[in-house]
Amino acid sequence: MENALGIWGSQATLMAITASFTVLGLVMLLAALFMGRRWKPSYAFEFGFIAIMIGLVFYADWASTETYSAYQENLNAEEKKVSGNYVGEGEAAFDRVVTVIAFQWGFAFIDKDDKISRNATIVKPGEKVLFKIVSNDVIHGFNIPVAQITAEIDPDSKREVWIKAPDKPGKYLIQCVNYCGVGHSQMKAWLVVQGDAPTASVGEDI
Amino acid sequence: MATTEIEQQRMGHPAHWKPENLVGNISFVELLFSNDYRYIALKGIFTAMIMLALGGAFALIFRSELAVPDVQFLGAKIYMTLMTLHGMVMVFGFLIPFVVSISYYMLPRVLGTDRLYWAGAAQASYWILIVAAVLLVIGRPDFTWTAYAPMSFRTGNEFIWMGHLSIILVAVSEFLAGVVLVRNAFSGTGGWKNTPLMAWAAGTIGLLFMVSTLPLGFVGYGLLSDWAQWNPTAYFDPSRGGSVKFFLYVFWTYGHPAVYLPFVPAIAIIYTIMPRFLGHPMWSYWSGVVAFILLAVGAMPIGPHHFQPVYTVSGDYQRFVQILTMLVFIPSVLHVFNWISTLFMKPIPDSARRFIPFKFMVMAIAFIVYGGATAFLNAQIAPDSDFIHNTYWIPAHFHAMFFGFAGQMAIAGFYYLYPYFTGRMFHQGMANAHFWLWQVGLFIKITGMGVAGYLYFPRWVYDYLDIPGWAEAQLFITIGGFLVGIGFIFFVVNVVWSARNGKIAPEDPWPVIHDEKIAATAVPAE
Repeated sequence: MENALGIWGSQATLMAITASFTVLGLVMLLAALFMGRRWKPSYAFEFGFIAIMIGLVFYADWASTETYSAYQENLNAEEKKVSGNYVGEGEAAFDRVVTVIAFQWGFAFIDKDDKISRNATIVKPGEKVLFKIVSNDVIHGFNIPVAQITAEIDPDSKREVWIKAPDKPGKYLIQCVNYCGVGHSQMKAWLVVQGDAPTASVGEDI
Repeated sequence: MATTEIEQQRMGHPAHWKPENLVGNISFVELLFSNDYRYIALKGIFTAMIMLALGGAFALIFRSELAVPDVQFLGAKIYMTLMTLHGMVMVFGFLIPFVVSISYYMLPRVLGTDRLYWAGAAQASYWILIVAAVLLVIGRPDFTWTAYAPMSFRTGNEFIWMGHLSIILVAVSEFLAGVVLVRNAFSGTGGWKNTPLMAWAAGTIGLLFMVSTLPLGFVGYGLLSDWAQWNPTAYFDPSRGGSVKFFLYVFWTYGHPAVYLPFVPAIAIIYTIMPRFLGHPMWSYWSGVVAFILLAVGAMPIGPHHFQPVYTVSGDYQRFVQILTMLVFIPSVLHVFNWISTLFMKPIPDSARRFIPFKFMVMAIAFIVYGGATAFLNAQIAPDSDFIHNTYWIPAHFHAMFFGFAGQMAIAGFYYLYPYFTGRMFHQGMANAHFWLWQVGLFIKITGMGVAGYLYFPRWVYDYLDIPGWAEAQLFITIGGFLVGIGFIFFVVNVVWSARNGKIAPEDPWPVIHDEKIAATAVPAE
């Protein structure tokens, strides 16, 4: 499924590389224990290993930054358009804008008509949704597994997260992933996907 | 065995290693207050084992609760208290004191000084930690070991200040331990080019102890002061002018080096016992030295990778942290490469293959590869903002590193030292049972956690929904946890039983024998 972070591009390559490095290390250990022929490995071998590692670090940095800045493009674009103030036409790029207040313990979702719903937000299939999240008490987490995105919300600042809603109608989990007090386990909400998909002509006003 | 004099010196002084019945001849007062390095170390080791039992018992209680979805017998409050105590007791009470105590025991011997300099500070470090542990158990905080502000002073627990105070005491205790390690690292006589790698480890990590505990002490004070409202303007409480981001930065300036505090002394144990089992020096001395220095230098600035998803926009600073975090991989790769090459360069003695500490050491290396190489992903902001941040992926990572590697290395060090302080050998069969139960249990547990994390199972919950895969993963983790618990019982019974009934240890308990038959008689299977 297409997701907001688009993580399955170069990240998948990196996961494969990481897995093969793990296997390589274990194979080397097994060889050291059980192989019959033995010799003293040269320093060149170690330096080569380190050189590959350094190369990987910069590839990983590039891949991660690329992925994450592509995700941020939208958010940055909005911020530029509205000069730091989160109202105005910049948000028109999204099918739906929801303000989220994370509190001890739950999520309140406020839509553009100031309708408040606790622990559930209703979106249409395939919509691009912007969540503007604040916390008034402690540090909370905001994780939507189906959209593959996690954010940490601290009381000092606002945090924006956008997702592309799943195409299949249903109830999807939204959860807090940062320990925020004894009620943390109950801090869940539902992303309810229902209704028809927005048509291509949607733009000015619905 | 043609080792040169310089290599001999770098391997430490074998002359100081003689089995003796220390435990049998010790008086209780001596054990508590003597400044002899062996007594200080033994006191630390046995206290740490009590902490391990305590922390493990806490874990098994809440693991039983988590085995199936819904609430069985534990409420949120008790669950979180047990979870917090499990984390704090295991890291501050078991792991760090255990490996530091083993360093106290081994350093004077490998350096040939036969005494622990500034033993009074080690003594103070021990007793301050005991006070901290008592405060924790009485205060029963439920704010997890990270004590995130402002949650950690808004819990409604009137004894929560005991938790904050014990954070300060832990900082003082670890600072003093660092002072002792640094002092003793410089006590060798062979010059810095020949000093054993254990001394390099003690020197570099001792400095890191001293520097990194300063922010921890401040965090403890800040939390206490914000809770008590001593100052008109709070440090960390946003409702009174404090800053949560400030807390995050200060805390993780300690919090990242903190994970190296048990890690590096555990590495030092490998560098000490591996050459003795194999009968030849490490593959490369300087590779180890460089790795210790790089790790100490790289540890401090990378704390912010623990809260990457706080930022909407990840700028250059976040990217710097991301790159540096991945580069800190390199010292660990240097270490692992060094160990594997040392194992590989010459045939492994048949005696070593039968030694329990050798087996634990090999599996510790396997777990550092398993938990460390997969952690290459954790540093990257994109996957971190997907399934990694604060899901069970993180406990999988640090249980592999803390328990699979550092904890098992500490146990290897303990088994290695056992004949030297009891004068007897432990029971080989029970030790083997302990070994296998731990490897299987740990692997199941860590892999289960990794799978749960990949399925977005959040940390710190006592109750969870029956989402496909979640309950199965939790059940697996619980089974693994109980296997580890059974293995621990074998361990304790073995330690207690063998101290009186074990075979008398030979002159050299860890001989190097390159012959299967002779090795079989020297190291019997039971």
